[in-house]
Amino acid sequence: MKKEQEATATKRRDFLKLAGLGSATAVASAAAAVVPAEAKEEPSAGRAGYRETAHVKKAYELARF
Amino acid sequence: MLAAEAWADDIPPEERLRAHQYQVLAGFLAAPPDASLLALSSRFSGNDSELGRAAADLALRAGQITPEAASQEYHDLFIGIGRGELVPYASYYLTGFLNEMPLAKLRRDMASLGIARAESVKEPEDHIAALCEMMAGLITGAFGAPLELAAQRAFFDRHLASWAPVFFADLEKARSASLYVPVGTLGRVFMGIEKTAFMMAT
Repeated sequence: MKKEQEATATKRRDFLKLAGLGSATAVASAAAAVVPAEAKEEPSAGRAGYRETAHVKKAYELARF
Repeated sequence: MLAAEAWADDIPPEERLRAHQYQVLAGFLAAPPDASLLALSSRFSGNDSELGRAAADLALRAGQITPEAASQEYHDLFIGIGRGELVPYASYYLTGFLNEMPLAKLRRDMASLGIARAESVKEPEDHIAALCEMMAGLITGAFGAPLELAAQRAFFDRHLASWAPVFFADLEKARSASLYVPVGTLGRVFMGIEKTAFMMAT
């Protein structure tokens, strides 16, 4: 069972890489900067969102890669 | 709420990349692009995939457009007078009206996932930017523990799969779109990638 799960996970990982997710828009140092700019943005027309707690901001910081 | 820090290290790199892709889309769709977003995206690069080519195209256009022109384009596309060229809400795409059942369904799911709307925001939550932000948060664990893939897939299927690809295709072809053409392509292609990748995990 575990082996099947690993095989599926590998298949998914390889697919995501092949599809271009690994390179497209993934400028490593810049990735973190996208989100803070977004998170600090004042709500404006057209924006709908979620509660921006310190928890959320921390998660954004940790999402950098 | 579980500490996101405890889980963040366990998120595989390819899943983080998905979250990043959602965050990029949200960045362009939540509000008019400012100078820093334009500068940032002008440095995107892509491989020779449809996604990669769209990223490179976006980088090119972002490097050439002024924040004022980008803001005008955003306004024409999504704000307008009364409405923009496009109305990027699930309810609108699925029913022809705002504030319909798709929004009600979303609010129920948000409640059970612990996602709350920012108090200061008046717009309905089924805006494409908000949904992209939610997907990114579900992947990285912004609302509690990172959501397991089966639950991510369920959220995607319920709130994005049926209309977001159509919206992004509309964005690619929108009269007012120039900078936003490759944003549309990125979104359309990424929605397809998500759909296929979910089939490989759940």
